[in-house]
Amino acid sequence: VKYFPLVWAALRRKPVRSVVTLLSVTVAFTLFGLMIGLNATLNLMEERARADRIWVWPRFDNAGMPVTVARQIAKLPEVKKVSVMSYLPAYVADPKNRVFVAFFDDAYGDIFPDWGPSPEQWEMIRRNRTAMVMSRSMAKLYNKKVGDIFTVIAPQVSKADGTHSWTFQVAGIGEDVTANPGGYFNANYEYYDKSVLPADQGKMNEVDILATDPALAPALAVKIDALFANSASPTQSNTEKSLLTSNAFGGMDLHKLTREIALAGLLMILFLTANVIAQSVRERRVELATLLAIGFSGFAVTALVVLEAALICLAGAACGMAIAAALAAQVPALLPRGFGMPLAMISASVIVWALASAFVLALASAVLPALRLMRLDVASALAGRT
Amino acid sequence: MILRQIVIATRLGLRSLTTRLWQSLVIVIGMAWVIGILLSMLSMTEGLHQAYLRSGDPRGVIVVSRGTDFEINSSLTRDQAHIVINAPGIAKAPDGSPVAEPGLMVAVPAVLKNGAKSPIVLRGVEDKGAMLEPTFHLVGGRMFRPGTRELIAGVRADAQFKGMAVGDKVILPNGEWPIVGSFATGDLRDGQLLGDTETLMPALRRKAYTTVLARLGSPDAFAAFRAALTRNPALAVDVMRVPDWNSKISADFNRFLNVFVYGVGVILAVGALFGCFNTMYAAVSARAIEIATLRALGYSGFAVAASVLLEAILLSVAGALIGAFIAWGLFDGVPSGFGSDVFTLLVSPALFLTAVLWAIAVALLGGILPSLRAAGGTVSAALRAH
Repeated sequence: VKYFPLVWAALRRKPVRSVVTLLSVTVAFTLFGLMIGLNATLNLMEERARADRIWVWPRFDNAGMPVTVARQIAKLPEVKKVSVMSYLPAYVADPKNRVFVAFFDDAYGDIFPDWGPSPEQWEMIRRNRTAMVMSRSMAKLYNKKVGDIFTVIAPQVSKADGTHSWTFQVAGIGEDVTANPGGYFNANYEYYDKSVLPADQGKMNEVDILATDPALAPALAVKIDALFANSASPTQSNTEKSLLTSNAFGGMDLHKLTREIALAGLLMILFLTANVIAQSVRERRVELATLLAIGFSGFAVTALVVLEAALICLAGAACGMAIAAALAAQVPALLPRGFGMPLAMISASVIVWALASAFVLALASAVLPALRLMRLDVASALAGRT
Repeated sequence: MILRQIVIATRLGLRSLTTRLWQSLVIVIGMAWVIGILLSMLSMTEGLHQAYLRSGDPRGVIVVSRGTDFEINSSLTRDQAHIVINAPGIAKAPDGSPVAEPGLMVAVPAVLKNGAKSPIVLRGVEDKGAMLEPTFHLVGGRMFRPGTRELIAGVRADAQFKGMAVGDKVILPNGEWPIVGSFATGDLRDGQLLGDTETLMPALRRKAYTTVLARLGSPDAFAAFRAALTRNPALAVDVMRVPDWNSKISADFNRFLNVFVYGVGVILAVGALFGCFNTMYAAVSARAIEIATLRALGYSGFAVAASVLLEAILLSVAGALIGAFIAWGLFDGVPSGFGSDVFTLLVSPALFLTAVLWAIAVALLGGILPSLRAAGGTVSAALRAH
């Protein structure tokens, strides 16, 4: 701490350079924050994914499976609870405003208590056929509040009344959840089922299952697929854990990608900061030699250099994290509507990683100048010889 | 006159570069790093974009059910397909039949080489298939026989997925379908499976096609063709040219990739910009006497400023080209894919141009303040200061 005035003086010696260096470190840590923040979000999604929940989809068809599939699954001894849902691909006013309305039966809220709507809101969906609970982000996007009417148009699905428009009452605004970054529009399955053409009734797009024991779930998924393999509705079943842990982006390893980009940013900046510190040490040879001459230890003088680097890097990391947090909130506006990209979150662990990286960056930038400083011949430096 | 001054001042600056080697390398390496990373990522977006744009018959048209976002969600009944195929404007084959056929597209569960689950696209084609896919040719095995449970696989499907080589078997609802041949089209189809539409339909228990593909007699026939179909009350279809359809279905993912890639690129470039600023600032300081002497000799401030900018641009462009060539050497032509979407990484001449333009932009923005500093100030003050 007592060296602080010295470090501060060194930084103020060339204020423009110090500020620009700080800015470039800030930039590197903005990227770091966005990338490692995204990584943290993915980690959280994987961590929160339940091992005892199984999602069952039609294997070859997305035109829907008969609800009897769910009834057959419910008879399996490893199954604790079963629910069905249907999706409605639709848009709001303009085809660009794509939304997916999901219609749930009564059991769904019990199986997915952690996916946004509160128990009371699930109850509203159960009690009122046209009720809808939408996520806060979507309510904001479409400017809806509780009590409003919400209408979507679904050209691909024919209703029994001959129209393609679906009207809902906004019964609740639910919290957004990490696992569902695209937001949600939750409605009542009965409303969907009784509105479509009679020939399409009694079908659904997905069965969701709660297993009695998480350890049994992977085998249960295999068992369900085997059960329906030769039926009219072959299924593909996956535990939620396996779906959200295996790279869901067509085999792209986002963890690796984000880490590599964050590292790339730091390496780029390392060269710059190392250069700046080296330059600053070179310019202050005489000063540093003086410090050594008046009794500062070699260690203390080296510490001064490292501190100078650390101050810039830590301050830059802090600014970068703040900017990354602000930028992350703006990302959805850049993406196509309804594109469910997980957002970076600046969690405590991200900040710890950033500070640790900043410290490593500072040490790495200071190592060469510090080594040179240790070999400094005080007498010749003071005499002005190089 | 002024040009001569700029050239001389720039040459003077470049001659002293060796004394500022490490400093100058900050710009070169920083820019090489930024452009290397940017182009590595852009090689993916560019490759995927090109693969989408090139896929299918560029003279072809596609008919899908109205409001469809993805082919897989489209549904056309036999009657509807019949009307479309006999619509006016479609080219005639040598035997007088229209060059058009209904098609089928389904996603079949598959496992990527890395073990992740990812669906593979299976298409149904008929006798006009080869005409509607001008680049299609067999590269191994033989063609599937219509009416039998046989498939052929794209050349890249085998590289992406497990069990997609000639001789392997694909499980469909009615049993195992052997892969009897391997084909290439040079576009997205290379990651897909092909089979006989009329044999696949009952196997997959489909009553409806997904699309009709057709080739028009002349490009001018499109408007009339579309009008005939969209005005027909028996149909509810969208009619698009194949390239337009390809860019429509890839637009969202493309935009997401661009936001990601350019976002990372811009942040890195801002970091490089600060590096450039720092370097040129230091260069101007180091050359203060030299610059002041030039001014004293009658060189205009503009010429001196321009020479500083020019130096920054030369260093930055040199770095960008190094980065671009490294990215080109590492990635150009490398096969890649997201699941069934196969493409070739592409570092095109256009990307080299992008690299140079970014380099110039970074150098101008980073060099402008230092160059003004070089141009400004009185000559006597600069000479006296040292």
